[in-house]
Amino acid sequence: MKDVINVAFIGNPNCGKTTLFNAYTGAKLKVANWPGVTVEKKEGQFEFEGQKMKLVDLPGIYSLTSYTMEEKLSRQYVLGDDVDIIIDVVDASSLERNLYLALQFIELGKPVVLALNMMDIVEERGMEIDLHRLPEMLGIPVIPVSARKKTGLDILMHAVLHHVQSSKADPIEHHHAGGKHIHDHHAEYAMVYSDDIEDKIDILSSRLKEKYPDFANIRWLAIKTLEHDEEVLKEYPIDMSGVAENSLETELVNQKFSFIEEIIGEVLVNKDKKSQTTDKIDAVLTHPVWGVPAFLLIMAFVFFLTFTVGDFLKGYFEIALEWVSNGASELLLSLGVSDWIRSLVVDGIIAGVGGILTFLPNIFILFLALAFLEDSGYMSRVAYVMDSLMSKLGLSGRAFIPMLLGFGCSVPAVMASRALEDKSDRIRTILATPFMSCSARLPIYVLLSETFFPHNAMIAAYSMYVIGIVVAIAVAKFIKIGKGKKKTNTLLIELPEYKTPNAHTIFIYVWEKIKDYLTKAGTTIFIASIVLWVLLNFGPSGMTSYINESYAAYIGKFIAPALAPAGLGQWQLAVALISGIAAKEVVVSSLSVLYGIGNILSAEGMASLATALSATGFTAINAYSMMLFCLLYVPCIATVATIKRETNSLKYTWLSIGLHIATAWLVSTLFYQVASLIAGIL
Amino acid sequence: MSLADGTVGSSYTVKNICLDEAAKRRLEVLGMVQGTSVQILTRKRGSAMVIKVRGTRFAIGKEFAMGINVEA
Repeated sequence: MKDVINVAFIGNPNCGKTTLFNAYTGAKLKVANWPGVTVEKKEGQFEFEGQKMKLVDLPGIYSLTSYTMEEKLSRQYVLGDDVDIIIDVVDASSLERNLYLALQFIELGKPVVLALNMMDIVEERGMEIDLHRLPEMLGIPVIPVSARKKTGLDILMHAVLHHVQSSKADPIEHHHAGGKHIHDHHAEYAMVYSDDIEDKIDILSSRLKEKYPDFANIRWLAIKTLEHDEEVLKEYPIDMSGVAENSLETELVNQKFSFIEEIIGEVLVNKDKKSQTTDKIDAVLTHPVWGVPAFLLIMAFVFFLTFTVGDFLKGYFEIALEWVSNGASELLLSLGVSDWIRSLVVDGIIAGVGGILTFLPNIFILFLALAFLEDSGYMSRVAYVMDSLMSKLGLSGRAFIPMLLGFGCSVPAVMASRALEDKSDRIRTILATPFMSCSARLPIYVLLSETFFPHNAMIAAYSMYVIGIVVAIAVAKFIKIGKGKKKTNTLLIELPEYKTPNAHTIFIYVWEKIKDYLTKAGTTIFIASIVLWVLLNFGPSGMTSYINESYAAYIGKFIAPALAPAGLGQWQLAVALISGIAAKEVVVSSLSVLYGIGNILSAEGMASLATALSATGFTAINAYSMMLFCLLYVPCIATVATIKRETNSLKYTWLSIGLHIATAWLVSTLFYQVASLIAGIL
Repeated sequence: MSLADGTVGSSYTVKNICLDEAAKRRLEVLGMVQGTSVQILTRKRGSAMVIKVRGTRFAIGKEFAMGINVEA
C-alpha cells in the first residue's frame, strides 16, 4: 500500500461534489472562487484509519470528451499516474444523466467508487434505488451518502480503501449478457456496445496495441479513436482505414444512453412523481411575467441587508478602530519613539488598513447573500430570467451570471465568464463585468454619500449600482468583437433542484472571501498605505511636514488638470484615484491619509472631510462626480491581471483599461458640467 | 416540428438535432439524443424555455429550441 493514496473527486455540476469534498477536508484547503463552480484544482489532506489520503476536487463536468477546458483538465489529470482511485459523486435524484459521466470514467479503466449523493431527495419524491442491482450492473462499489447530513462518509472511505487494493474487478451481471459476438465482453466491461461497434473496437485495439504497447487502457483509446476525439487522434494517431473513417460519436453516445435506460429500468423503483418543491418555487421565480420583478426584488433585498445590517455592525468596528488608534498613539508616545514612526503607524498604517477593516460587515453580508443565492440553486435561474434582455445584447443569459457576481468581486466574476462557450461573447462579458460595482467600491460610496448626501445616502449609493449595470449593458451592446457575424444564442444551463443552502458550504465560501479581504488589507492596502505615507511625507527636499511639497503633491498636481473638467481638479483626489488602482478601497484610506483624518468613516471623520473638501469649493456635485469616476475607472490591479490571464491577450487588456478610463472621464465630466449648469440656473 | 413550436406542459420525442456540431455535442452529453423524451416546463414568449430531459431541468435559448426537431 502506498504512503499516500490519491483520490480524485469527479462529478456533474451541481451534484454536491464540493459539499462532499468539504465534508472530508474542512476549510483547510484552497477552495474555488465561488460555490458550485469549481474552476481550479483543489487539494486537501485527510487521514482515514491511519491511511493518509490526498483528495483532489476536479471541476464539475458532464462528459469526458475534450471539448471544454474543464473536461480536458479532468481527463488529463485522471489519466495520469497521480490518481489511484476516483470517487464519482452522483446526484441520485438525477441518476439517469449522472450515469453518463460514470460510464465514461468506468471505461477509463481506473478504480472508481460511486458515491450516491442526495438520496434524501430521492426518498422525498417517493422513489427508491436498488442498491444491490446498481453495483452489479456497473461493476463498481456504490455507496449512498449525504454530503449535507454527513452520513455514509466513513463507509465511502472504507470502500475507497478496499477498492484501491483489490486489483480484480467486481463481477458484472447483465440480462443481455452472452451475445453472439465472438468476444463476449459482458463479464469484463460494464459498457458493451453493439456487435458491429465491438468489432471495430477489436480491430482498432489490435492496431493500437502494436503501436502503443505501453498504454494502459487500449480499449479506451480505441473507443476514443472511434469518436474521433481531437486529443487522442493527435497524440495517438493510428490507421483508421476501413474502421473509423467517420466519427461514431453520436452512435456511441446513443448506445451509452440506451444502456443507462436499461439500468434505470432495473434499479429505479416506484417512479411515480410527487409534486416537487422545485416546480412550485419555479412557478414564481421563472414565471414569464413575475420572474424579472422577483429577481429585482431579491437583489433589492440583498442590497438593503448589505447597507442596513452592515452599517449597523460597522458602527461597532469604528469604535474598536478608534480605540486601537488612540491606544497605539499613546503607547508609542509613552515608549518615546520618534514622531515620524508614530505618524507612519497611526496616520499611515492604522488609518489606511483600519479604515478598510471597518467595511468587513458590509462585505460579509454581501458575500453571504451571494453564496446563499448560488448554493440554493437560484443563480442559474437568473440566467434564464435575464435571457430576453441579454439576447437583445446578442449575449446568452448565462453572461448575466458573471455580471451579477461582479457585485461581489470582479476577479471571480471575470473568471466566471469562462462558462461562456463563444470567445467573442466571453470577451464582451469580460469587458463589461468590471463596470458592475464591486464590493470594494462600496466604502467609497458610503464615505462620499454619507458625507455629502446625509439624507439620501442610500439612494446615492444605490444609484451607483444602477449606473454600473446600465454602463455594463451599454458596453456589451456596443462593443463589437470579431467578425460580428450573426451567431446562435447559446443559452444552455442546468437548473438544479432548489435546496436549503448548506451552512458548511456557505461558511467556507464566505470565509474564503473574508480571508481574501483581510489578506488584501494586510498586504496590498498595507503596502499602499505605507507608500502613500512616504510620498506624502517626503519631497524633493527630504522629509517635509508641508504636504504641498511632497512627492504625492507633485504627482497629483501633474494629473489634476486632466480631471478638472470632471470637477476633480484637486491634486489630493488625483493621488487618491491613482492609489485606488492598487485596490479600490485604497481611495478611502488615501483620502483619510491625504486629509489627515483618522477614522474617516466615523461621524466626526466625515465632518472633518466635508470641512476640508468644502473649503476648496468641493460640493455634492463634485462628490457625485467622484463616485461616478470611482465606479467606472480602471478596475484594481488584481482584476486587470485576471483579465490578462482570461483573455490571454495584451490587446484586450489595454482595451479594457482604456475603455474604463475613457468611460469614467466622459461620464463624470458630462455629469459635472450638466449638473453645474443646472445648479447655476437654480 | 421544432421544440420551439411545442406547448408548455407537453412531452415530445426528439427526432433529430439540426444544429452545428458543437451545439449538438453539448446537447448529446446531457442525454438529448434521438428518441429522448423532452418536456416543456415553462417558456417566455418568443424566447428561452425550461425543459426537462432525463429528470433534469435545463434552460435553453430560442435557437437551441428551434434546432431540435421533435414529434408529439
